[in-house]
This record gives sequence, structure tokens and C-alpha cells, in this order.
Amino acid sequence: MASSYMLPGAQQAPSFHSHPSTASQPRQHHWSPYTENGGVILGIAGKDYVILAGDTRSSEGYSINTRTARKIFDVGSGLVLGVVGMSADGEELARRVARKIDDYKRSHDKHITVNAAAVMLSRILYAKRFFPYYVQPLLGGLDENGVGAIYTYDYVGSFERESSRAFGAAASLITPFLDNQINLKNQFEPGSNGEVPRKPGDMPRETVEKIVKDAFTSAVERHIEVGDGLQLVTVMRAPPRAEGAEPEEEEDEREKTAGGGVISEVMSELKKD
Amino acid sequence: MGGFDFSNHTRNAALMSAGMPAPKATSTGTTIVGCLYDGGVVIAADTRATSGPIVADKNCEKLHYISPQIWCAGAGTAADTEFTTAIVSSNLELHALSTGRKPRVVTCMTMLKQHLFKYQGHIGAYLVVAGCDPTGSHLYTVHAHGSTDRLPYVTMGSGSLAAMSVFETEWKKGLDREGAVNLCSQAILAGIFNDLGSGSNCDVCVITPEKATLMRNYITPNVRVPKELNYRFERGTTAVLQEKIIQKDELRRYITVTEVDAKGEATLTTDVMQVDA
Amino acid sequence: MVSRTGNLNEDGIHVDMEHLKKGEVNLGTSIMAIEFEGGVILGADSRTTTGAYIANRVTDKLTQITDAVWCCRSGSAADTQAVADIVRYHLNLYEIQNGQPPSVKVAATIFQEICYTNKDALTAGIIVAGVDRHKGGQVYNIPLGGSLHKSKYTISGSGSSYIYGFCDSYWKDNMTEQEGMQFVKEALKEAIKWDGSSGGVIRMVVLKKGKKPERHLFLPDEDYADPPKEQTA
Repeated sequence: MASSYMLPGAQQAPSFHSHPSTASQPRQHHWSPYTENGGVILGIAGKDYVILAGDTRSSEGYSINTRTARKIFDVGSGLVLGVVGMSADGEELARRVARKIDDYKRSHDKHITVNAAAVMLSRILYAKRFFPYYVQPLLGGLDENGVGAIYTYDYVGSFERESSRAFGAAASLITPFLDNQINLKNQFEPGSNGEVPRKPGDMPRETVEKIVKDAFTSAVERHIEVGDGLQLVTVMRAPPRAEGAEPEEEEDEREKTAGGGVISEVMSELKKD
Repeated sequence: MGGFDFSNHTRNAALMSAGMPAPKATSTGTTIVGCLYDGGVVIAADTRATSGPIVADKNCEKLHYISPQIWCAGAGTAADTEFTTAIVSSNLELHALSTGRKPRVVTCMTMLKQHLFKYQGHIGAYLVVAGCDPTGSHLYTVHAHGSTDRLPYVTMGSGSLAAMSVFETEWKKGLDREGAVNLCSQAILAGIFNDLGSGSNCDVCVITPEKATLMRNYITPNVRVPKELNYRFERGTTAVLQEKIIQKDELRRYITVTEVDAKGEATLTTDVMQVDA
Repeated sequence: MVSRTGNLNEDGIHVDMEHLKKGEVNLGTSIMAIEFEGGVILGADSRTTTGAYIANRVTDKLTQITDAVWCCRSGSAADTQAVADIVRYHLNLYEIQNGQPPSVKVAATIFQEICYTNKDALTAGIIVAGVDRHKGGQVYNIPLGGSLHKSKYTISGSGSSYIYGFCDSYWKDNMTEQEGMQFVKEALKEAIKWDGSSGGVIRMVVLKKGKKPERHLFLPDEDYADPPKEQTA
């Protein structure tokens, strides 16, 4: 015998004797495993350095979760990983990449190269093809020749090596600026009458760092999800060891880095509104 | 008796058919507040205007003039707050002219609520109405659907929770002018820093039975830092693809030219584009 | 998605009268009115919400319509304010045209007329209570569909569901003013306790024949205790 239950709507409606309430409407509660936490990162590869930078704001909707969230991670072996999108997935991805790079070092007794790590990260992302990490990653490091390399990815592992890239909330604001100032797009040699495009050459690291800072302070002005702090991470070639000096243990480690890179980080303030 | 239990089937089917889409938050980010004090009323607002996540205006004015002694802070759809206050301002002026009396805040509030109720919430104007009239100092909120509240301190907009937290902890009876201005600007700052929809500067308007004082950019806690580099392009950096020179006497072929005598000082000036730093 | 306001469901029966427009300010309320020996008492909580946010914690849901007729509002704040304003206008006009104030029944009927004819557009649950020279204190309830019910006492709003049993148990005809106020206060205390959409202070209005309306205020931080002496807020 089928038991009869009253429909939730029928309890109040037919009698016109119901009372208004806050939970007035039947709501379909749908849950999503993904959230968008805002923020922006960028990466620029130079002749003998790589710069990765990101803001430190993590937000949800109109609320700030934290003002001190790092988006650039040291994943070992002189490599850095920038993540933006869903912060939980980003952190998980960075942990996994760091762990894999460590595994590689222990099994092969040498540091992974940036191009090998790039392929590895691609495999990690594609393994989750049907439940992807909601993250746009940037992998940076020095290649075997000591030249700066930036690898950029989509959510499911498609990747390529690029010289500069911005990802995240204000990417659409920063990208044209980088195109113009780093790759010198739409610029011609003065006096060439628009015949000779300016060639992107070796830009000193100090100049690029200033361009990066300007990119962020400008993005903060016009994008509500960008702000609070700036994390600027640089990978540079280790200075040559002085003749006859005893190699310290840490330095030893460093020498095994495929591209001979050392990582340094500078934190600075951004506007907080 | 065995078999499956389908007793929930009808219920589930009904729920499926009744599936409501989640209410979409379309409120434009803003923090606006108001506070009564002994001898007048203060309203304040942030100055950020957004379209989606992009800052459309870093220093917009959200404090609207209604009449000399009645001012309004607006949240919600920018166009709706602008036009609703303008219409009511106009009608209130006519009303004052025909009655020969100073407009009252309650009249303004009633005109706003009746206008907004007529449009059943489709006009997305959320307003804080404040002013002084012969009956005293008054402070109201008006919601887009036409409901009104009358309170000693009020907040509205996406930053209203941040701002209200300041009022609920700091507000006390018998504030003076300085205390009310401080409290309101602190509440706006809470919105500016904790609500992504609000930002930039703090505008304040103090209304007393004597006069209204608009303090535009009363606090500017978010001045842009100077740029590290100069982005002035060297002359010749941009390719000139085509060049055509139009002589002054040929101008009439392209535009309408009106001669201005020497006194008119109508000089054709070439604006030099200013680049930062 | 079909707009559900005033629409029939697939089964052709169920109408969603509980619908509030998106972002609308709601009086998720506990309101009541009772007859007592000398007149009527209206009571209400003071909470107004927009979703989970309390937009006003000291709302006055007891609204004066004429000298001796008041109402309790529940449902949409905008709708009930608009209806109350329109009815007030009509009854003021009535008094001028007829040279005497309208009876409570007339007031309630005008409320009903508006609530019934505009039932598709309104979310308004209103209690009308007052005193007149013909029949003394009277209480009318106008729930969502726009019907009109006269009773000795009535409760309404989301919080009322929790106090049907309480009121049924403790109700007596011809209570004194003190007993009546105690009844209303204890009932609303329960409603506020159990209903999340109700809260804040308890407001009361006592209407007695030939007397001015008396307002009473009970605060939660004093556990809604009676004020030390006679207090009118």
C-alpha cells in the first residue's frame, strides 16, 4: 500500500491559510566543487633569469578570504610554480608537483630539468581530464643552458613555452601591457618610418621587475579581485663559486640544479581596497 | 509486502518542476551609510563604480542632491539611482513651489517609495534619504521594491554588512557632529577595505537645519602609488600609415566652421596627451 | 523557468502564494491581535530580513490606520506598507465624507478588498484590529489569499506556527488588560524563541474605547520584562 505524503507546496497553498516565511520558495540547492578565488599571476623569461609574480589576495564573491595568500611556490630543483584560479586546487597542485620533483631527485640523483618538469606537470593535469584542477599554472625555471623558461598551461595540460604570460582575473588587463612593453609589440624603431619593428632584446632584470610592479599597481586600480600584496619571485643563475672556496652543503645542492638557478622572493605592499 | 518504495517519487518530481534558479546577485557594489546626531544628519558613501569585476570609475559621486536640505545616497543600479533621485528632486521642487513651503524629508521618502513600488523592484535603486526640514532631522532607507525604514543609523549596498558592524559596535546615543562624521566615515572605510564592490575614497555630506555641507573626498586612503617607469614613447615609435594634411581654408569641406571674433577667445588648442610620471 | 507568482502548477491545483520577489525585504514575522475586556491588543516582533541579513532589528510592524484602527503587517515590507498607506488614505477620506470615523469592520473590508483584488501581485498577511462605538474591540485576520476572518484573537506570520498550541491552551474570553498583555507577550516570546525569522523587541499597542492608543515596548536584553512602572514608549 503506497503511503501518501503531502507535497511540500500543498501544505500551505490550497487553504490560503499559510504564513509568509523567509524560506518561502522551493530552492534547488546545487553545489559546485569549484570556486573562483580571483587574483592574478604573471611570468616573464629573460636571458638568464625568470620572474614570476602574483598578488596575495584570495577572494570569493565580494569578500576577501585572506590578504596574504602566496600564489607562487618553490617546487624544488630551482623551479617555481605559479597558480591562479581555485586556490585549494592550486595549493594541492603545487604540493603534488613539489613532491614529484623531489621523487625525481631521489630516484635519479639529479635535478629535474625545467622542460622535463613541464612535461610532467602536463601529465598531472591531463590525468584529471574529466575532473580538472581549476587552476591556470605557470612553470618557471632556467633550462639546461641557463636561459629563462616559462611554461604555460590550460586546465587540462596543454602547454607551451613562452617568454611572457599573465593568468587570472586581470590577465586581460596585463597581457596587452606585457605585449607592448616586454615583447615591444606595436612599437617601431623611431625614425624608421614604421618599417623596422622594435625587437625584444635582452632586457635587464631590474627593468623587468619595474615593469612587473607597474603591471600590478595598474591592475589593482582597475580590477576588484587584485590587491593587498605583491609576491615577486626571481630565479637567477648562481654566482660562480670563488676559486678554492670550500663548497658549502647548500651550495652543493644548488649546483645540482639543472639550470643552476637560485630562487629569491621579494614581498611588497599593494592597495587594499 | 515487498517491492520498492516510491513514496518520494511524486515529491521529487514536484521539486524538480519547481526548481528555482538561485537568485543572482546583481547589486552593484557600494557602501552607503547614514547617521542621525543631535542637531543634524550625516550621510556618506564610497566612490567606486564597478561593472562586473572591473572598476568603471574610481571616483564617482554617489551622494545625490534632492533639495538644498535633503540629500540622498544611492546604491544598486547606477542609472536607476541617478534618474530616480533626479525625478524626485524635480517633483519636490515643483511641490515646494506650489505649496510655498520647504520640502520635507518624509515627502521625498514617500515620493521615492511610491515611484519604486509602482515599478515592482525593476528599478534597482536602493537609497539612503537624509535631510532637515521644519519638523526636524530625518533619516530613511528606501529599498528597490518600495519598502522604507526609519532608523537612527543605516547602511546599504554590498558593503552594508561591513559598515553595519562598525555602527553596531561603535554607535552611541547623543553623538555630536564630529562624532557622527567620524562614525560614518569609519563605516565607509570598513566597506572600502572589506567589500570588493566598494573602494577608493569616502564622500560625506552633513545636513543641519542651517545648511548642507558636501565634503567630497573627505578621506582619500587609496591614492595611486607612482609608477616605477616612464611610459612616454619616443617620437616615431608608432608607424604612420597614412598622412593627409587639410589646409585651414579647406576645412569647410569636412566640418561646419563658425568664425569667432577676436574677443571670443575661441582659440584652437592642440591638447598634449599627458602621460604619467 | 516559469514565473510562479499566481501561476498554477503542473497539477493545476497548487499555487505558490509564498513567493517573494528576489531581494525583496521580508517581514518574516510573528504578529497577533486579541480582544480583551476593554478593547484590543496588537503585538509584534521587530525583525525585518533580506535573506539571512537582518535589515532592521527594531521594525515597527504595528501601523496606525485611523485613530482607533491599527494593523499588524506580515509578508513583503513593500507590499504591506503600500497597502496600509492606501487604506489609510481611503479611511481618512471616508471620515471626512461621512463625518464619523469608519468602523473596524469597514477598515478590515477595505483591507480585504485590496488584498483580494491584487492577490496575484501581493504578499501581504495583515491583521486589522481596533475599537469602534458600535461593537467595541474587534480583531480581523486577512491571510494571503485575501479572505477575511473575524475572531476573538488571531495570530499570523511565520512565527505563529509555533504558538497555535500555546494560544489555544491559554486563551480565555474577557481577559483583563494585564492578563491580555501577559498572554500576547508570552505567546510572542515563544514565537521569537522558535522562529528564526522573528526576533528583536516585542511591540504592543493597546486600544481602548474612547482612550488614546497606548504603546508598550519589551526588550530582549531584559528578557522582555515588564518595565518597573507604567511605561509608554
